[in-house]
Amino acid sequence: MTASALARDRKPGLWDRFGYEERSAVLFLAPVMTVLMAVAVFPILYSFYVSLFRIKLTRPNRQPFVWFENYTDLLGDHEFWMSVGKTVTFTVTSVASIALISLLIALLLNEQFKGRRFLSTILLIPWAIPYVANALMWKWIYDSGYGALNGVLYQMDFIDKYMVWLGDQDKTLMLIANAFVWKEVPLATILLLVTLKSIPDDLYSAARVDGATVWQRFIHVTLPAMRPGFMLVMIYETMMAIRHFDLFFVLTEGGPGSASHVLSWHIYVETFRNLSFGSGAAMSYILALATFGLSYFFIRTLGRRL
Amino acid sequence: MSRNAKTHLGRRDFLRATAAAGAMTVASPGLLRAQASDINLQTWSAAVDTVQSHVAAFTAETGLGVDYGNSPYAQYRDAMVTKFVGGAPLDMMWVSDAWLPEWAEAGWIAPINDIDFLMAYNADANDFCTNSMTYGGKQYGLTYYSDYMAFFYDAEKVAAAGFDGPPTTWAEVVEQSLAMKEQGISDYPMMLAMAQESWLIEFISALVFSHGGRFTDEDGASIMESSPGVQEALQWVMDAVNTHQIISPACVETGELNGLKAFSSGNHAFAMVAKYRLRTLNDPEQSAIAGNVRQAMMPMGPNGSHETVGWMRFHGMSSAAAADATRKANTAKLMEWFGGKANGEYKFQKLLFLDIGAGFGVEPLFDDPEVRAAYDSYGDVDMIQAQQALALKKDVVTPWFGEWNETNGSAWQSAIIGNTDAASAIKASSDLWTELRDDY
Repeated sequence: MTASALARDRKPGLWDRFGYEERSAVLFLAPVMTVLMAVAVFPILYSFYVSLFRIKLTRPNRQPFVWFENYTDLLGDHEFWMSVGKTVTFTVTSVASIALISLLIALLLNEQFKGRRFLSTILLIPWAIPYVANALMWKWIYDSGYGALNGVLYQMDFIDKYMVWLGDQDKTLMLIANAFVWKEVPLATILLLVTLKSIPDDLYSAARVDGATVWQRFIHVTLPAMRPGFMLVMIYETMMAIRHFDLFFVLTEGGPGSASHVLSWHIYVETFRNLSFGSGAAMSYILALATFGLSYFFIRTLGRRL
Repeated sequence: MSRNAKTHLGRRDFLRATAAAGAMTVASPGLLRAQASDINLQTWSAAVDTVQSHVAAFTAETGLGVDYGNSPYAQYRDAMVTKFVGGAPLDMMWVSDAWLPEWAEAGWIAPINDIDFLMAYNADANDFCTNSMTYGGKQYGLTYYSDYMAFFYDAEKVAAAGFDGPPTTWAEVVEQSLAMKEQGISDYPMMLAMAQESWLIEFISALVFSHGGRFTDEDGASIMESSPGVQEALQWVMDAVNTHQIISPACVETGELNGLKAFSSGNHAFAMVAKYRLRTLNDPEQSAIAGNVRQAMMPMGPNGSHETVGWMRFHGMSSAAAADATRKANTAKLMEWFGGKANGEYKFQKLLFLDIGAGFGVEPLFDDPEVRAAYDSYGDVDMIQAQQALALKKDVVTPWFGEWNETNGSAWQSAIIGNTDAASAIKASSDLWTELRDDY
């Protein structure tokens, strides 16, 4: 049998089924896919593999494979659950505040008034500030010795002596949430404003014909029509809040005591201070799954009637 | 037009050129590698110019090239551990006494006991320094910097409050502070920086040692609950913050640097900071109370003494360097140049002291006229030396120190802000110590 006959009799493989266009596409996409596999997919899979070991960098000769022990150990870890509780408090407070404040600002910016463009522009300033710079700015504002917050309140006679802010465990988490909200409100406002702009005027006209008041139009027309925007805001801001780290690192380092010891801080300490990469990876996976679960919940509830 | 004459780059040409470049890179990695130096030196980012000039002098003297790199102190340990684990080229590096057990146990740094000309420098070194470089009976380097936690006071404020001299006990600190509060001299006369940062254990240890307490016994077992000085020290801070209000409740958010700034701006009368800060505090360009800052012996608790905590940093040699005869010989030469004598004197330690006021760990430098003159310009050499003699090594330096330190700091902070009582905080800290010790 000749070589050409052999080639003719060979069953066509996957590659043979591709036409010129498909082969070109595969060829051109291959470098990008290779890079993505190397810098995204492989680290994700490898970190899961790492989470199955008791890896501690400072004990390079003792790193046993422990199956899911790093995960099960967390169930009985008091510090882990405490950090989960603080994360939930921070996330719920922040996201609720962001949703409410950005809704109010979006409603305001949706109206026609003098200075609207200027207001829209300055609204973007917090968004443009990098996270760490934002954190340093709030550290100065909250400082108990020379902070602007104390200065303003003192000048306005609201306080008769300088107060301790970040050092007060009852206030710490809420003050950090406040700094987070300040940074996140602009983006949420833009998302909601875009949704507001997309509501057809016909709906309002019809509501007016039916005799609906301003409040009724807001409740029965505006809010339902804003569901896609809210869904985006809730998913994005929840993801940002639940894994937020920068403010905790710069402002309090998890303190005072354990007042701001949220899950992202706990993971940082476990991974990069204690150098326990196994348990740190396990916690990171739990955080990722929680974020995924919450996003799914928002899509199921808010996106159901889209 | 012939094919060869075309000037634009076609898709196939681009792919061919890219593939060729990739293949060349893979085939000859040496093309992308810089010329290797004889010795690789890693430090944290302190006195970089001084280090660089001393490295240049070494190269001129020996002809050996040094590849010098540095990273911020806050990330130094993590960066070095990653380098060790990743097998990065390392010969000599700065090591903190706090990391010695961890790095020695992991086999990343090597003892220098068999290098006689380096060991000979122990004759000049403080015992405290030699002990701090020793782990498991082996010495792991040569010191270049040593300091301790000092007690400073603003002499003008103390005199204004009607006292003849600084407090000698912690009870007197309270007494003098209350008098100052009453007279409106200072709202919070005592400055203590208790923020969760790397300095915290130094402050805690100084308080505990001066109260006569110890964290561990000679075998490394926790005695935190049974050593009265530990709880007494924490209780003193709690009372000072919450009962007497002589220390600001903001101390739990005040780091060492911010505390230093607050003290140097004249907000406080007493402060506990590293001794080398004395130069800054008495520098008119950097301090509003320059000229008034004096050092006193660390106040003592009811069952304590004037003991304080000391620390030191040293030049260590990597195990990888020690395993290669040439690298080991070269590294030993550089170690001597930095940690021992260069051209007959402790040049680097002296330069560091004159440059940034960093303390040194070799006795002969105290007799150096330039050093004495510099000290005399802002401090009392005899006081400095007397307190240095009472500096103790941290008794918590173990392979698990890093893990325990985080929780211990949180426990002290929790007690200070009234979240828990002193006994419970100490118990939490002690329990974790025992658990980690058993685990290791």
